[in-house]
Amino acid sequence: MSQVLSAPTPSIYPVVNSAFTQNSVSRNGLSAIFRMRLRQWQDGSPITVFVLHDNNPLHKQFCKQVLNVFPHQMRRSWNKLVFSGTGQAPITVASKEEMVDKIASTPGAIGYLSDEDITENIKILIIK
Amino acid sequence: MRHTSTLNRFFKLNSYGIVLVLCCLFTNAQAFDSDWLPQNLQIHGFLSQGFIHTSDNNFFGKTDDSISTDFRELGINASYRILPELQIAMQIVWRDAGKTDNSNVRIDYGVASYNLYSSESSLLTLRGGRVPTPLGLYNDTRDVASTRPSILLPQSIYFDVNRNLALSADGGYIYGEHRTDYGDFSLNFGVIIPRMDDPDFKNTLVGSDPGKMEGDISWVLRTGYEWENGLAKLAITYADFNGEYKPSTGAFFQAGSWRFNPLIFSAQYNAEKWSLTGEYALRRAQLRNFGAIPDTEFTGQSFYIQGTYRLTSSLEALVRYDELIWDMDDRKGLKLAQAAPGVTNHSRFAQDWTFGLRYEILPALNFSAEYHRINGTGWLSNLENPQGTTQHWDMYTIMMSYDF
Repeated sequence: MSQVLSAPTPSIYPVVNSAFTQNSVSRNGLSAIFRMRLRQWQDGSPITVFVLHDNNPLHKQFCKQVLNVFPHQMRRSWNKLVFSGTGQAPITVASKEEMVDKIASTPGAIGYLSDEDITENIKILIIK
Repeated sequence: MRHTSTLNRFFKLNSYGIVLVLCCLFTNAQAFDSDWLPQNLQIHGFLSQGFIHTSDNNFFGKTDDSISTDFRELGINASYRILPELQIAMQIVWRDAGKTDNSNVRIDYGVASYNLYSSESSLLTLRGGRVPTPLGLYNDTRDVASTRPSILLPQSIYFDVNRNLALSADGGYIYGEHRTDYGDFSLNFGVIIPRMDDPDFKNTLVGSDPGKMEGDISWVLRTGYEWENGLAKLAITYADFNGEYKPSTGAFFQAGSWRFNPLIFSAQYNAEKWSLTGEYALRRAQLRNFGAIPDTEFTGQSFYIQGTYRLTSSLEALVRYDELIWDMDDRKGLKLAQAAPGVTNHSRFAQDWTFGLRYEILPALNFSAEYHRINGTGWLSNLENPQGTTQHWDMYTIMMSYDF
């Protein structure tokens, strides 16, 4: 019975600017984007990745449920890129409101949001 | 030259001040993500200060019956993504590690990376400049305390006395990565000229003979496999490092050559709360044509096995056994000690039990403490221990580290 009473965890999705033409991404591609290994969309334009702080519950949920990786493992792989000169870290935003702003205003931006926070200028990137 | 020495003096005098200022500036780890930098330019940095005490022998300063503060690392890097497929990055580091590092400000890397091909499943990149050398699991970022599992990396494979030689080199690499549903495969191959400016390196080969060691054409290859975004990692590294001795007038030794071939097998499993890591290396070293030193070739063995466990979300414990043997044909160094009076047999091996704790005060600020119980002095610096060494010794280290 307790399952029925407990509030369901909101679903979380990778999101992009709704003006963006690409609608879907492979699971490996999505993982490569958030691990900062894939830096270009299919049309060659630059990808800009936005994430919340490592301890943010939404970030943890996205890492575990969608990317299938532990947040500290993500941080480790970003540090490896940043401190070996072979890559960059994603841009950290302070809140999901800032996430909404950045995704809506940055061409080629990708982030993640709960379905309830997705606004007009933002669309879900479908995982193939 | 004068410029460099002024800069060094500035860093020496002001290191603590700089640490303080940086801490104040970047207490918010995301400071540099704010709007005043363009989104394709990033600045990151790190700093750490260690305190080391040993029961006997010296490691990174005068540690025997004393506490050394001569272990300090401070670095800053910038990366700029000029085009989606082109990135440049540079890291400048100031490092002090007793007599094993000359405390100069140096460029650890200055890399241009160009993606020849990039898709959701594959990546092919060319890298050139001064590039971190891909050796084993930890070498590429060995300066940054937060990327190390412990205060000191397992010394049998990541010798700190020859840190500059291992860390990075001038040359070019080709890197390929293929991502599949069964894991990611990678291959990294480079042709390089190694750096031979570690004070202890030349000293070990020819002592204080007037002359210098210079890097020669060398190459390195690392293949890797990652399963489930790094849940399990495997790697094999092989390298051919070459160097030449350039004697000055009045030198006792002749223009000899040095060759070093490490073969490293690496494996790691990362669960949510714990991780298990092991690396095994065979290291072949050759010395030729030094004149007074007979031509020599020997193969050594290094391995460690290491476990970490996250006791709480901010406290992690570590246990490791690390073993080094310089010459597989003379595991305890007894033959050499007999043949060369003045060489102690325990300088030819080292067995190190390490127990460590790391506490995350803030996400970017760590406090670590470590205890080592060591049998043998195989990875100690000769420069730091002119008085001789003791076979069984203990080492205690603590470190504060910060990165942004």
